[in-house]
Parts: sequence; C-alpha cells; structure tokens
Amino acid sequence: MNSPFTGADWVSVAPLSIVAVSALVVLLADLLAPKNMSRYVPIGIALAGLIVAAIDCAASYHGHDYAAFGGAFIVGGFSVVFQEIILICAAGSVVLYGTIGAGERTPGAIALLLWSTCGAMLMAGAGNLMTIFLGLELLSLALYCLCGLAERRTAREAALKYLILSSTASGFLLYGMALLFGATGSVALADLVSPALASNPLLWLGAGMFLIGIAFKLSLVPFHTWSPDVYEGAPLPVTAFMSVATKAATLAVFARFIYAALPPGVDQRLLLPVWIIAAISMIAGNVGMLAQRDLKRLIAYSGIAQVGYILTALAGGTALGLRYAIFYIAAYTFMNLGAFAVAALLSGDAEQGSTLANYRGLGHRRPVAAALMTFFLLAMAGLPPTAGFLGKVLILSTSVNTGYAWLGGFLIAGTAISLYAYAKVIFAMYARDAHGQAHDLRPLAPLAWISAVACFVLVLLMTFYPLTPSNVLPLVR
Amino acid sequence: MLAPLLVLVPIAAGLVMLLLRSENATLAKAIGAIVAAATFVLALLVQNGSSELREFSFRWLSRPFESSFHFGVTSISIWLVLLLTVCTFCAVLATNVSRTRAFVAQLLLLEGSMLGLFLARDLLVFALFWDLMLLPVFFVLIGWGQHHATAWRYLLYNFAGGLTLLLATAAFGVLYGSTDVIGRGGVNLIGSWAPWIFAGFAFAFLVKTPVWPLHTWMPLTYADTPAPMVAVVSAVQSKAGLYGLIAIGMALMPDSLRASAMFFVVLGVISLLYGAFTALVQSDCKRVVAYSSLSHLGLIVVAIASFNPIALQGALIYMVGHGLFSAALFLILGFVESREDTRSLTRLGGLGAQNPRLAGALCIASLAALGLPGLAGFVGEIIILTGVFQAGWIWAVVLALIPIVLAAAYMLRLFQGIMNGPQVADLPVRPDLSWIEGLALAPLVLALVFVGVNPHVLTTFDTRAYNAVASIAQGTAR
Repeated sequence: MNSPFTGADWVSVAPLSIVAVSALVVLLADLLAPKNMSRYVPIGIALAGLIVAAIDCAASYHGHDYAAFGGAFIVGGFSVVFQEIILICAAGSVVLYGTIGAGERTPGAIALLLWSTCGAMLMAGAGNLMTIFLGLELLSLALYCLCGLAERRTAREAALKYLILSSTASGFLLYGMALLFGATGSVALADLVSPALASNPLLWLGAGMFLIGIAFKLSLVPFHTWSPDVYEGAPLPVTAFMSVATKAATLAVFARFIYAALPPGVDQRLLLPVWIIAAISMIAGNVGMLAQRDLKRLIAYSGIAQVGYILTALAGGTALGLRYAIFYIAAYTFMNLGAFAVAALLSGDAEQGSTLANYRGLGHRRPVAAALMTFFLLAMAGLPPTAGFLGKVLILSTSVNTGYAWLGGFLIAGTAISLYAYAKVIFAMYARDAHGQAHDLRPLAPLAWISAVACFVLVLLMTFYPLTPSNVLPLVR
Repeated sequence: MLAPLLVLVPIAAGLVMLLLRSENATLAKAIGAIVAAATFVLALLVQNGSSELREFSFRWLSRPFESSFHFGVTSISIWLVLLLTVCTFCAVLATNVSRTRAFVAQLLLLEGSMLGLFLARDLLVFALFWDLMLLPVFFVLIGWGQHHATAWRYLLYNFAGGLTLLLATAAFGVLYGSTDVIGRGGVNLIGSWAPWIFAGFAFAFLVKTPVWPLHTWMPLTYADTPAPMVAVVSAVQSKAGLYGLIAIGMALMPDSLRASAMFFVVLGVISLLYGAFTALVQSDCKRVVAYSSLSHLGLIVVAIASFNPIALQGALIYMVGHGLFSAALFLILGFVESREDTRSLTRLGGLGAQNPRLAGALCIASLAALGLPGLAGFVGEIIILTGVFQAGWIWAVVLALIPIVLAAAYMLRLFQGIMNGPQVADLPVRPDLSWIEGLALAPLVLALVFVGVNPHVLTTFDTRAYNAVASIAQGTAR
C-alpha cells in the first residue's frame, strides 16, 4: 500500500524526530552503561541531539512554507522560530541537571524532557486541531511525570495538581475543538476562516472554549492559581522548562489561532475578553510577586504578567505585533533561563538556589553570580540595558499603533509594581547588613555557568540588535 | 566618534573597578579622578571638534519608528556635560566612605549614564539612560544609606517617571515616525495625542527635578546618600528633568508646553515657597540644602514655562550656577559630617574656629546660594526674574521675591549653626581641610567666583544655545 505522505513530509518533522530519537539513545545509554554512569553522559547526548535538531530546523527557515501531512504540520518562518526557542529552552533546562540531579533517575528525566520538547515543537507547527491536541498532550503527559520525579512531598503535590488542572484545561480545549469541528466539518485551522461562519453560534462557543483552555495553559488570571504551586513543587530544571517552553508553544498555538483561524468580523469581538484578562494578568501577576519567598513562585507570578505583555503585542493582530511578540518571547526565554541557571549555580540537590532567603548577602559572597542574577531580574523588570527594555518599548509602540494603548497603560502600571518585587531580591543581595547566612554552595558548575553567561550576553546583545524575524507570515495554508 | 567614547569610558571604567579585587582607597580615588578628568577633556574636545568628532549615529530600529544611537552635544547640553564632569571629579576626590572602590565605581557609572542622557540626540536613547541612571544611586542607597525606605522611595518614584517617559517616547515615535529628534529644529508634535504624550514626559521631568508635590523622595534621598554622590545627584541629576523640559518639552512640543504654562508656573511658585519655608526649619543640615534646592529649581521651572528668551538664558545660567553651589554645599556638608559625626544643626557649632578653610568654602558656597552679587547664583536669578517679568507673569515674580529673601535667612542660619557660636564640647575636634579635600572643592569654588564676576563667559562661549532657545521661545511666543 502506498503511503499518502511524501518524503518532504517526513523531512519537515525531522527536527522532532531527532529529538525523540536522542531521548531513546539516552535511555539506551542508561541501560547499557555501568551502574554509576556520570550524569554528564545523558546530558551530553541530549545536548547533541538538541543542537543537531536546531541546525536542521534552522536550515528550513529560508525555504518556502510547506504544509506537511495534508496541512497537519506547517513548516515556515513562524514555526521554525518557535521551534528554535523551544529547543534553546530545552537545552537550557537540560544543562541544569548538571547541578540538580534526579539521582539515578536523571537519564529518565532527561528523556521525558526531550519528549516533552517534541510535543512543544509539534504545537509550534500545528496546522490543525488534531495536531494541536497531540502536541499538547505529549508535552503535558511528560511534564506530569517530570513534576513528580523529585523526592519532596511538594513535588508529588505539584504533579497531582498539575495533572488535575491541566486535564481540566485540556477538557475545555477538546470540547472547544469538537464544537469547532461541528461548525466547519473540518479540523484544519484554515477552514475556520470562512466568512459564512461568522454568525454560527457553534463557532463562537467552540472558539470561546478553546480560548479558555489556552488561557488555562498560559496561566492567565483567573486560571492562574495552579502555576505558582506547580512551579514551586517541580524540580528546578522542569520549572525552567515549563516557565518558557510550555508558554512559548501555547503562545504559538494562540497566535496562529487568532491570526489565521478566525473568520473576519469575529476576531475583535471574540477576543476582547482575552485582552481584558491579559490586562488583569499584568496587574495581578505582578502584585502576586510581592509576597513571594521562593524564586520559582516569583517567576511563576512574573510569567503570568509577562504573558500579559506578550498578548499586548498580539492584540492588534498586525504582522509587526507578532514579530515583537516573538522578540519578547525570545528575550523572556533568555532572561528566565539565565535566572534559573544562576539559581542552579547556587544549588545542590536540595535546590537551595530557589529559596530567596539564601540570596541575602550574595553580592558579598558571590559577586559575579549576584551581578548576573541582578541583570536577569532587571531584564524581567524591563530596565536598560537589557532586551526586556527594548521588548517593552516595541510592545508599547505597537499597542499605541494598533489602538490598544490602554493595554500599554496596564503594562506600565504592572511594570511599576513588578520592579518592587524584583528590586527586593536585588536589595537582599546587596544590602549592607546582609552578610553571613553562608551555606554549602556548589563551588563549580560549569554547564550552569556557561548557560548563565550565554544568556547574559544574548540578553545584552538583543538590546542593541532588535532581531525580529521578518518572514513569520502567513501562518496557515 | 568622541561623543560615544565620552559615555563608554566612565561606564567601562566603573565596571572594571567593580570587578577589581584591590581595596586600596587611594588608588581607587586616583583612577576615578583621572577618568573624570579625562571625560572633562573629552567633553571640551567634543565641543570644539569637527562635526565628525561631535556627532555619532548608529541605526538601532527602523520599525516601528526610526531610532538611532545618536550621540552629540547640543548647544544646550554642553554646559551640563561640563558641569557633570567637573562635579564627578570633585566628588571622587571628596569620597571618604567605606568600600571606596565600589563607591567610586558607582560614581563613574552614574557619570557615564548621565553623560549618555545629556549627549543623547534620540528620545529612545534618552529614555534608556534615564532609567539607567537610577541604578547607581539605588545601589549606593542600599549599600551605604541609613534607611532602607529611602532606596525604595527613590527607585519607585523615579521608575514611575521613567515608565511614563517610556510610554510617551514610544507614542511619540509611532506618531512622528522617528525619535531621532533631540536638537533637530522644526519639530512640533500636534494632534489629539500630543497633550497625553507631553503629560507622560512632563510627569517624568517633574518627578526628577523635583517640584512640589512630587518631591517627597528628594529630602530623604539627599539626606541618606553619602555626600559625594548626592553632590552629583543634586547638581546634575536634578537638571536632567529641567534639561528634558527644555530640549524635549519646549523644543519638540512647544504648543503643549505653552498650553500648560500656567500649571508649570503654579507648581514652580509653590515649590519655590514651600522649599524656602521648609528649609528654614530643618535641623538636618543636608535637608536644609535639599529643600533650598527644591526652591531654586522651582524658579527654573517658572523660567522655562514663561517662554521668554531672557528667562530661558537665565534658566541655563542658573542651572550651571545651582549645579556649582549645590555640589559645593553637599561636599562641604560631607566634610562637616566626617569631622563632627553629626549633621544636626542643633548639635553643631563653632566649627569655624578650628576649620577656617572649611568655613571659608562654606561661606562662599552659601553666599552663592543666597544670590549674592558677584557669585554665580545671582546672575541667573536676576536674569530669570527680568525675563519672567517681561513675559507678563508679574504675580510670579512678586511671589518669587519672598523665597529669595528667605534664602538669605536659611543659608545664614546654616552657616552660623555650623561654623559660628561657641564650640561644642562633646563633639570631636579634627583637623581642617586636607589638600585633597581642598582640591575637591577648589574647582567648584573657583567656578562660582569666576562665573559670578564674569557671567559673560557663559553667553560668549557658545552663542548657539541662546539662539536655539530664543528661536523656540520666540517662535511660539507670538
């Protein structure tokens, strides 16, 4: 029997396949290798796989768009950029296992992380509802296990909480998809754009449910309560991955949906509630940060607000807005990964680096690590000279340009609040009376150092070279 | 090419100093002073050099609006650049705090970021350095300040201003298509958005200057920051708001500034009166100078809002004059504090007998502050009052005369409280100014006298400044 798929279809998913295969190699190495295999072996295999996948993926950036598997997976500038971001994030998370091991489970954890990466990459290129769901579940199922892998009680709590709430979100998403299918008789996103559908109640209901599911996954207020608890409980590398890759993949789905899959006349009316919850998230996320004592919870709340900033860029539905959203997602990726890398530098297996109390006096004990952390926190707050500053300028200008200046106003208000929370950490690191409280810090963590310094350089350079990909449209074919 | 060098040299020097291991205080001060002196020389070269030396431009953004890393002195900013480099030089030499190396490094970072601000010919670059210059002061406040609340109040007030500035810059860029506009003639942003954009800029400038009622961060910050840094902050960072009001508010959005002139004059006059009366009753001597600053800067706000060419010339001269005497005053108060371990006017007394040179310096600086003819403060004040009178704001001039009388009262109270009277028995007796402390004060005191007896130098050094602002003012004063 002839396969309905051509070779080009399989080539287009080659980066995913490479990542998936390297996960198998990691497991195989664990099986064949001696009992006390160094944790750097699986990390090395995973990094090699990710790098090869990234190179392979980058090669298709300048090619024309291609809809593989009958439109299920779309290759183009947009999906390539998001896949690269996800691959970078996976690499940045895998290196953290260099300091925070999951004991003998490390190879398994890394393999799960790689499969999760596959799911996220699938979402980045998903061209129909089935692929979106497939990618999302692949991403999430691996993450449920990863969350529960640590020995702590909070980790199991996090895993259970994540499982239940994420499944609820998936339920919304799936029901929405069913209704959308009912409205159109097709699962392809491209078929939703028909003007005849604009007055179809099934489409409105379906798209609404779909967006609620997305809002859950993006942890927008009021669907955000799971993320601080889950981030806190999960192991540090998994939190790093969740805070960026999950968000990037979901944002890719969201952007493709609102840019390319809504009939004309529906979009602005249907999306207004989304922009309103984005505005609320910018305020509530930043307010939520104020009382946190744990870096991972801090970043969870920060992420709620940062997604609000990114949605502000998307609000106008313009190509420039999409490019600036991608710029900000990339900047956010590097600043978050950098902050997690510094936290990993200060951590042993007990993850001391995620407790903010351990940062007191760090500026006196570990000046370089403290300076890096300061830089990443300033980047999250949007102060110069960081990519966060330029990202906010670009988002503000696009919000003015597209008539969503009120979202820009919320962004300003949220940023003002957020600075207090970030500066509190900086304050603790440099305050004059904050000496002592020394604890056992890992003296040498080469991979985390490299990751932190690389993120620093990238966040700094992105301030001066605003690389925004120009060929991200069209999103569907 | 020299202009960006002027920004990069102090920032690079400051960062390198932060990384150094040596805690040798003398070495740190020597390096800091050399860098600051080098920036002074560079600034003179930039001012007198060819146009390739004066200007530097590097494209930053082409969408959604054009923006460049465009540096170069404008005829208005050159004075502030020179003032900043001199003040930094003096402040570095006057440093007498613990952890000297890190402190001097922060002074250099502050200098670099503020040079970037004054040299920026692009609004977005201006906004970048506007936020950046908060950080050195914040780090000094948490590392050397007495009260934690001060650092927070400084950062949050000024960052709020920085954010409205950022939003206004983005909106300006979108509407005008380019932010590469500072010092470019013929820009006048109008339309339904213009008042809002102007309001965003104005809020930032008024917080930074500051004027009543946005000033509450200022007395705390000035009292808590070690003297060398507060000298730079009060002398030059407070001028950033006024410079912005002239170079951005007046030059780019004259119609909006003109429409809200009454608002600015009222705020300026309230600051004038409020600052003077409050300075009269302060017991912390740094707070006396802090509130006197509020009063003096209120006068400059009135001068700018009056849209009169004479008043604007006065404002430029007074900005330099106030920079010189407030830097001198804060440095001297720092020396007093390091000798007597207190800043309380109720405790201090009789220091002049033991420290004649210190007393002489304080005498000249406080006389300049109260507007004695022959010193730098007087020239600016009288020209401003003439110009504001000519512009027709007679009630403002009449009200402004009250704080000028009060200035004599609070400045003499400050001088007498510290230097005159019987010596206080339980306060330590320490030697007079060392030569290095004298060297830190000498440029400021000499400049005060020089500008005071020869104010002509400020108007002949570069006449373009006055032509530029005069043309702006006249163009809209019709």
